[in-house]
Amino acid sequence: MLDSLTDSHPYTKYIVGTLIFMLMILIDLQLNIFASRTINLFIRVVYFSIMALGFNMLLGFAGQISLGHAAYMGLGAYLTAYFSNFMGWNFLLILLLSGLIPMVLGIALGLIALRMERLYLAIATLGLGVTGQMIFQEWRAFTRGFSGIRLDRPEIFGFAFNNSRHFLLLATAILLLVIILTYNFSRSRTGRALSAMRDSEYASQSLGVSLFKYKLLAFAASSFYVGIAGSLYAYAERFVHPSTWGVELSLDMLAMVVIGGLASIGGSIVGAAFLVLVPRITAATPLLAEITNMNYILTGLAMILVIKYLPLGIYNTIDVKLIQPYLIGRSSKEFRYQDLEKQEEG
Amino acid sequence: MAEEENSLPILKVNNLTKTFGGLVAVDELSFSVPQGIIYGLIGPNGAGKTTVFNMITRFYKPDSGKVLFQSDQGEVDLLDYRVHEIIDLGVARTFQNIELFNNMTVIENLMAGGHSQLKTNFFQEIFRLPGFKAKEKETRQQALEILDFLGLAGKENQPASSQPYGVQKLLELGRILMAEPEIILLDEPAAGMNDSETNRLAKLLQLIKDEFDITIFLVEHDMSLVMDICQQITAINFGKKICQGSPAEIQASEAVQEAYLGRKEN
Repeated sequence: MLDSLTDSHPYTKYIVGTLIFMLMILIDLQLNIFASRTINLFIRVVYFSIMALGFNMLLGFAGQISLGHAAYMGLGAYLTAYFSNFMGWNFLLILLLSGLIPMVLGIALGLIALRMERLYLAIATLGLGVTGQMIFQEWRAFTRGFSGIRLDRPEIFGFAFNNSRHFLLLATAILLLVIILTYNFSRSRTGRALSAMRDSEYASQSLGVSLFKYKLLAFAASSFYVGIAGSLYAYAERFVHPSTWGVELSLDMLAMVVIGGLASIGGSIVGAAFLVLVPRITAATPLLAEITNMNYILTGLAMILVIKYLPLGIYNTIDVKLIQPYLIGRSSKEFRYQDLEKQEEG
Repeated sequence: MAEEENSLPILKVNNLTKTFGGLVAVDELSFSVPQGIIYGLIGPNGAGKTTVFNMITRFYKPDSGKVLFQSDQGEVDLLDYRVHEIIDLGVARTFQNIELFNNMTVIENLMAGGHSQLKTNFFQEIFRLPGFKAKEKETRQQALEILDFLGLAGKENQPASSQPYGVQKLLELGRILMAEPEIILLDEPAAGMNDSETNRLAKLLQLIKDEFDITIFLVEHDMSLVMDICQQITAINFGKKICQGSPAEIQASEAVQEAYLGRKEN
């Protein structure tokens, strides 16, 4: 059953994986096996996965860089807090707006990217990110500055997601939707145009890819994802504070995508899980816990090791070395079987 | 021969000039490429051949001149279009240093080549709306046929970057065929190929011209290839035209011999 599913649609592995995870949480809802801090850990992995997918769309698929994306995620989070506290709008509407408004502003980043490349683009977007954080600190009417802003868990049609397990299920369902859209996007004319632009701007232009259109599109789409992730962050943590949206978060996005795997959906999720788990593991390890900022040191070390020894990223390496040979081996067996059948018929 | 010379020009270059600082790379250059033939542009290193290509395909902006192209919509000046728009008119090119999409597979490279032909929109793509699948399948089928035509069937799922040099050159050629162009500009298609690969390329270019009904305009250093397959040739030196005509006329031209070998001392 599973085999026939994975054969027909390559992204079924993500759907099946997500559904199994959701089933596990559903069972846990009855049995309460996981500690609530573990559930919170899962929630973090889920919203960071959406964030990493958005950043991967930019860096992995389109080959553009931004070190200001934390501000866009912060914007998504603040918009959610604002709309939920002061407007009392529907959750789905708020989620959508928290993606759409950063998306429109993300086009500004795209305009910068049309004029600058690589290092210069990184520096310019870094500046924009820092500016964003400053605005969050100072614009008290919207963000309440350093006091931070509180909000409640979302409600859909009268059902409040106060239970963290319920919220985790909701967030996972959104992640699944994002994964499917990303997959569809990457295997299409637009996705190929982005990758073409990444690999050769000259050749892609001569084949009809407008750099103007596709650079703006890459920044807009990734800002949308990151805004959605920010919205889920706000709902999950029920508190938004300006200190969250600094350069560290933008660098975390970069680390997730590089460690997990560039231009890969699975890589984004593995990278997000890695960055969520590292601080937890260091905090739980007696000696490491005493060293300040140990998790940053370990993340940096992991990045160096991955770039040196697993340049495809953790997920992609496993995929290329283990999963794909298995799948190809199996399909070639099937092929031989079909050949035999044909020979018999002939 | 006479019949070919009479055929309508598909591309007319009029008084094209380009300077880089004080250097005049292309100087008041005019020539016209007749439809349905293989046309060669030759000249010693630094003569300005690639600069001409880059101006026709809009990577460089000429200082003055016109590039008139006979498209479906009548005669247009390519200089009125932007670099990514000329493919829609039917003008495609390859690059001197191969510009493949290295992190994509062979078939993805070809399918990306069909960018201008494949008409699916963003929402059709992300939601897999009706119409998407059929168009995508059609493009894939076309890519497989072109791979087959190039003798590269079976390589579709391999990474483009892992292909040998000669195959990469062919892939770049296949990628522009996906765009169903009227004219293709090949910047040194045989560079780096050995003799047997060059011979195969010569046959392939003849086939492309005849079967796909595409005009081929090439810059090439391999003189035996140029003399073999081009029906008409323009020779340039220091950005100026020094000779134009059939391969035999070019070979007989003193100006061309002088440009390549230097002036005969008396």
